Amino acid sequence: MPDSDQFPVKIEQPAQGGNIFSRVFDELTAFCRSRSLFILHYCTGCGAIELPPAMTSRFDMERLGISPMVSPRQADILLITGYVSVKTLKRVMLTYEQMGSPKYVIGICSCTVNGGMYWQSYATAKKLNDYMPVDLYIAGCMPRPEAVIAGLRQLMDKIAAGKANGWQDYYERYDHYLGNQQRLFGETWQTPTDVIAEARHYGLFGPETLGEHTKLLQQHQKPLEALEMRLGLGAPEKVKP
Amino acid sequence: MHWLELLVELTLMPLVAFAIGLLMVLMMRRIAARLQRRIGPPFLQPLYDIVKLFSKRTQTSHGLLHEFGIVMAVGGYVAAETLLPVPGMNGIAEKGGMITLLYLTMIPSLGLALGVGQCANPNGSIGISRALTAMLAYDIPFVVVIAGVAMHFGTTNLVDVVAQQQAGGIEAWGVTQMPLLALAGLFALQGMLGKQPFEIYVAPAEIATGPMVEMGGKFLGGLFVMQCFQLYTASVLYVTLFLGGGENWITFLAKSFAVLLIPMSLAFLFPRYRTEDMLTMLWKWPMLLGLLGLVFVGS
Repeated sequence: MPDSDQFPVKIEQPAQGGNIFSRVFDELTAFCRSRSLFILHYCTGCGAIELPPAMTSRFDMERLGISPMVSPRQADILLITGYVSVKTLKRVMLTYEQMGSPKYVIGICSCTVNGGMYWQSYATAKKLNDYMPVDLYIAGCMPRPEAVIAGLRQLMDKIAAGKANGWQDYYERYDHYLGNQQRLFGETWQTPTDVIAEARHYGLFGPETLGEHTKLLQQHQKPLEALEMRLGLGAPEKVKP
Repeated sequence: MHWLELLVELTLMPLVAFAIGLLMVLMMRRIAARLQRRIGPPFLQPLYDIVKLFSKRTQTSHGLLHEFGIVMAVGGYVAAETLLPVPGMNGIAEKGGMITLLYLTMIPSLGLALGVGQCANPNGSIGISRALTAMLAYDIPFVVVIAGVAMHFGTTNLVDVVAQQQAGGIEAWGVTQMPLLALAGLFALQGMLGKQPFEIYVAPAEIATGPMVEMGGKFLGGLFVMQCFQLYTASVLYVTLFLGGGENWITFLAKSFAVLLIPMSLAFLFPRYRTEDMLTMLWKWPMLLGLLGLVFVGS
């Protein structure tokens, strides 16, 4: 859960009164969103081993409308199974920002909650919800498929009730999340996604969207340019770590 | 025909096709589940998916052609539905015929190629080049099949083809008159539906679903709608050519779903062929069967 108790989080309210059709329509979309979830797995940790049984014949996630997808554009849920090191967290952030809203993040295993057995590691990101809003944690080392499916059902209930709004929190408190990312990745960290412009687009621009960290980002930010198209095998360009 | 009646038919035919297509997608997913000893998705799952995809807040567009490509992909099939006679409704089938229909079923692949090209994703480009190669692979035997059927019935008019088959009973059906062509058509059908073993252009684990890799939200929703139409068009076309069309809606639906049962039951038992192997296979066996069938039709 994002720290919604400490910070005011605007929740997408279904249209009140007035047009009955828009209210029915909102409820219909919320219901369909909860009954059709495409999962993108980020499987670097050991929790990934519990997902094949959850998908295949014994537990069969498809009967709940949950199916695996392979690209961030198509997915609704980002499922992070197990620890994320500083290096993999960069990739997780890139993936998360490319996904289409409304999007949900699930952290599976103790490692995403508090670092788990990697608590003393210098290279592991301890709390996942410092860097991105996590809608649901499924604790355990590792959680059994029953626990995974119980967790997914909880998420479905939250979505149907319109309470799974972690993705809005990322726009509203972008400065907070960006600060934590900069703490790990350095001051020059930037992603191809213009989160601030997206926050304006969705009408989720809050007082905490901008701050000292986004100011730092705007100092370093380089505009995105298309990759140069080149034929043949030249010397590979040096990639910054 | 009165113009108002025609307008109603032209509106109803794609809508009915979409509703039946949703059921066909459901059947496909249920069959896959049963073969893998799972329960499978609930009854309205295809509809939930489509409504959800169209109601996503983020709609990442890569440009005008990306959007236009999806419209072309769905629109090609919507146009094709008005040329396919169903019980009680002929639409503009009498003015179209098989050859127009064959052209229209190629438009969705070309539209998809336009849209994917604009996305500039290498996985998508690989996928669509494979998809177009696959189209070349299954369309050539399919053209032979269409030519054979047209020669046998002496017309390319689908309404006449259905009328001739229904007048003669089961003995006059395409499948009893031209069994070799019907078999070749079944081969081509498997390729046309893009089901295993001919689904190398999707290949989720290898090129991240190929053409669909950059599609999210309404774009993927459009492709889901297209899939409904695709299943409907392929099976109804086969029923029209070989199984005597539909005398009424009950036999029509029974035949269409039965035709789809064959490729779908085969699909989930096989891995996939490489593109060049698919080309070799489809240009060898269905072509051979089709040409042999043509000889019998001609003599």
